[in-house]
Amino acid sequence: MTSTTTRKFHKDRGIVTRMYFTMFMLGFLYAVFALFLMAAGMELMFVGGIVGIMVVVQYYMSDKLILMSTGAKTVTAEEQPTLHRMVKELAARYDMPMPKVAVIDTAIPNAFATGRNPKNALVAVTTGIQQRLNERELQAVIGHELAHVANRDMRVLAIANFLVTVTSFLMTMLFWNMLFGGMGGRRNNNGGGVMMVYLVTMIVYFIGQLLVLALTRYREYGADHTGAEISGDPGALADALEKISGTVANIPDKDLRKLQTASAFLIIPAALKGEGSMNLFSTHPPLHERVKRLRELEQRMRYGLR
Amino acid sequence: MGLFNGKKKPKDDWSTMSTVVKTEAKLQSLGEITPSRRAGVIYRNNEENAFQSNLKSELNDVLYMGEGATKTAFEIEDDDRGMRWVVLEDGNFGDLVSSVYTVGNAIGMNGGADNLLAAVFELYFTGTVEDNTYRSGLRTYWIYRYDRKAFYPFVPTGDSEGERDRPTEARLGQDLRKHGLAIEKSLTEWMGLWGIPF
Repeated sequence: MTSTTTRKFHKDRGIVTRMYFTMFMLGFLYAVFALFLMAAGMELMFVGGIVGIMVVVQYYMSDKLILMSTGAKTVTAEEQPTLHRMVKELAARYDMPMPKVAVIDTAIPNAFATGRNPKNALVAVTTGIQQRLNERELQAVIGHELAHVANRDMRVLAIANFLVTVTSFLMTMLFWNMLFGGMGGRRNNNGGGVMMVYLVTMIVYFIGQLLVLALTRYREYGADHTGAEISGDPGALADALEKISGTVANIPDKDLRKLQTASAFLIIPAALKGEGSMNLFSTHPPLHERVKRLRELEQRMRYGLR
Repeated sequence: MGLFNGKKKPKDDWSTMSTVVKTEAKLQSLGEITPSRRAGVIYRNNEENAFQSNLKSELNDVLYMGEGATKTAFEIEDDDRGMRWVVLEDGNFGDLVSSVYTVGNAIGMNGGADNLLAAVFELYFTGTVEDNTYRSGLRTYWIYRYDRKAFYPFVPTGDSEGERDRPTEARLGQDLRKHGLAIEKSLTEWMGLWGIPF
């Protein structure tokens, strides 16, 4: 047993630096955009208020929302003794309280974690992933998910998504405003002004979206790294990811006809899609890149290099 | 349309699309599939395109005139998702495939290369392929995506988006590849087409 000093995770310097830079850029973008909107005479309080409520609801309800939307069922230690024991041991290694454990009954292999802080965390796995992975691999997957909880990634993403949600909301509003000219605004006689606001909003939306994607990428690599530090076995997660990629889970729900029709204002903001969780197979970063990094880490750990 | 789609123009669809003829012949000789008489080409109709706005008579020329014409019967249908289908019917599978290729090629050569989405073949399974047993009479679609130049199997279980038999599709994809079909390697590109009008 190690002493009870707070645990320090060894971090990947480059990633951490880039991550803070991204967060700084996001904050900067927020501020500039808010100033711009005020200068353009928008009712900031109104937009911010509505989106704020949505984000807060999502943030505080995320575990329940996820349970409802995925059909995940929380399971007791009696129902799933092996899974419970695994989560309990790992949670102890992260010095966090025991999270809620849930199972989703589907053949599609996947896992995710949610919750605004370690006290309110939930880890869910599908029956498909339980069947497909051996104990070592499943442990690595759960370790990765708990790392998201430990790193408070859901909170970071909720804050980051706020801007993207505000802008996409604004874009929709402005779009209808331009079409019908008369909705709710007091200063809508100025067509060119609205157009200008719309364009800037669109630009901010795209930059914000890119920054959020970058941030998700860093948090994902971060969780891979933390998980590997905790387990001391980066190869296990790489094995799990390799085993599952190229299988059924990747066959999409999407209709081919939707491929080219998506336009800017149809994009549903991430916060509304209920993406308040960290999914094992988020598309960013690409799986092969994660596997590559894990394999490198495995080499470094094996030969004691840091 | 988008900012970032570096889409390739279809140049040589025949070399990949024709793999379906060999695969079908092989599986049929093993008694494992029966092709239906139908297939379709789906594309995003553009009324400003002269060929597309006059499709029926253009296709009459292409499919019925000249030497080696397959004389495959066809119908034009619009689906409820804003796409146009050319549904073809022919008892000879080889002719059906050539006609599908011909229709796609004609649309592509006449300024519609970017409008083409997919060619779709319908085949029924009758038994065991390799070591996998498929439910007898299982209806499968083999979708050829023009932008990817590759096939993938599609087994819908309903008409709403997302309703598909993924495990069967994955196994079928492996089996069809073993039998020579040019299968799309990336499973994430296996997008469905729900409500196929044939």
